[in-house]
Amino acid sequence: MNMKKTLCLVFALVMTLSLSACGGGSTTGGSASSSDAGNAKYVFLEEDLGVETYAIGFRLGDEELAKTVSGAVKALVLNGKFDEIAAKYPDIKDYLCLKAEDIDQSDIPAQGSGDSNYTFKHGFDLSYPPYSYLKEDGTVGGFDVEVCQAACEYLGWKYEAVPLNWEAKDMELNAGSCDCIWSGFTKEGREDKYTWGITYSNNTQGILVAADSGIKTLADLSGKVVGVQIDTSAAEMLEDSQADLAKTFSELKTYETYTVAYNDLKAGAIDAIAIDMTSGAYLIADES
Amino acid sequence: MSWATMLTTMGEGMLRTSAIFFLTVLFSMPLGMIVMLLRRSRFSVVRWIMKIYIAVMRGTPLMLQLLAWYFGPYYLFGMSIRGYRFTAIIIGFTMNYAAYFAEIYRGGIEAIPNGQYEAADVLGYNKVQTFFKIILPQVIKTILPAITNEVITLVKDTSLAFALAYNEMFALAKQIAASQTSFTPYVVAGVFYFIANYLVAFIMERIEKAFDYYQ
Repeated sequence: MNMKKTLCLVFALVMTLSLSACGGGSTTGGSASSSDAGNAKYVFLEEDLGVETYAIGFRLGDEELAKTVSGAVKALVLNGKFDEIAAKYPDIKDYLCLKAEDIDQSDIPAQGSGDSNYTFKHGFDLSYPPYSYLKEDGTVGGFDVEVCQAACEYLGWKYEAVPLNWEAKDMELNAGSCDCIWSGFTKEGREDKYTWGITYSNNTQGILVAADSGIKTLADLSGKVVGVQIDTSAAEMLEDSQADLAKTFSELKTYETYTVAYNDLKAGAIDAIAIDMTSGAYLIADES
Repeated sequence: MSWATMLTTMGEGMLRTSAIFFLTVLFSMPLGMIVMLLRRSRFSVVRWIMKIYIAVMRGTPLMLQLLAWYFGPYYLFGMSIRGYRFTAIIIGFTMNYAAYFAEIYRGGIEAIPNGQYEAADVLGYNKVQTFFKIILPQVIKTILPAITNEVITLVKDTSLAFALAYNEMFALAKQIAASQTSFTPYVVAGVFYFIANYLVAFIMERIEKAFDYYQ
């Protein structure tokens, strides 16, 4: 009996250790790169894959709802609340494209004009920082979440967070479990699939590489292994507008989350990650 | 994120995971018994329906079944599925696991030699007494290790509930991992699962001991 308990303990330890060794990356594969601490270890290539815009996606045909919510967001830009929230997210601030002076004043609902019994269900991916994620204190947050909450508050609506399984987002939206998808949601390539609300951000898709990898241009990616998260705009671009580039890779690896891709990059298992600049900046923040 | 916050957050997820686990065990074990009895029914139509049910439940991924249970009512009948998420998860898990349990029970019952029934008959037991006093105790004894296997698999399968955006423990681990760009939450999740399964194995071993007569 005692023997068995000891064995179990040993197995538990081995499992835990091997798992943390995977995660540590820097303790095994990354030991070489720890020597040049101080410089950025991971950098974006100067050439990018293309620009995309983030907007709020509503069910096809929900024109009225799209107009009301977009109007509320415009009001937040005008009253300064939007910039106040943006100031908390330095990684994405520069990409936002709503400025008070350019706002067209039409279709802005009055403050508190919404039905106070209405609950607006905000659908988002809870693993997409800094737009929507689990914060330090374990609560739901992120730029998109805060703006949506502020918009509901402005209208007088109740807010309900609906974290989605990203692959099932269309089913959830069509079935009515949520009223919108608002989570760093790219409009390009999906123009006809949703009724679109206001566009609030331009984001650039780029390629993230280790600074000492010798990869400087998109052409250098020829024969390399590139990682991407499933169902993201980067993944779509590599299938669509940048398909020719993707053909030059030795492999395009699709991950469930960028976190795992990033660990593979750290460990040297892949050479580059295709990702939007803001999520990428968030990802490598721990190394700077 | 501090250790305390991470553990509290994941602890809440563990509660949601346990909810799936206990409710599934509670419903699927008796349902499995019914399925098994129908599967051994005298009527070939009933037998065939159960055969098809078991084939579908075992032959398709549980994640797909969960999506079908949750979104099915909306897409097939246009029903509102508001507030139905957790129910769909429990239905999905229960229906799936009942199929596996039914086959385990059947294996146990069919392993009992005919001589046992004949002996019971000779001793004057009626059908019900034979089943509950003679057959069932022996069946339970034989199938316990297989049940343990299945229950342990269930602990780990609970993570599939995230297909329906149910924030159980592993989904939270993924979300914390994304926001912290760290693998630590996965390690914590691994330890949580291991402890849970160790407990399951420990309790099942106790139950096996309790049935360890006739030695």
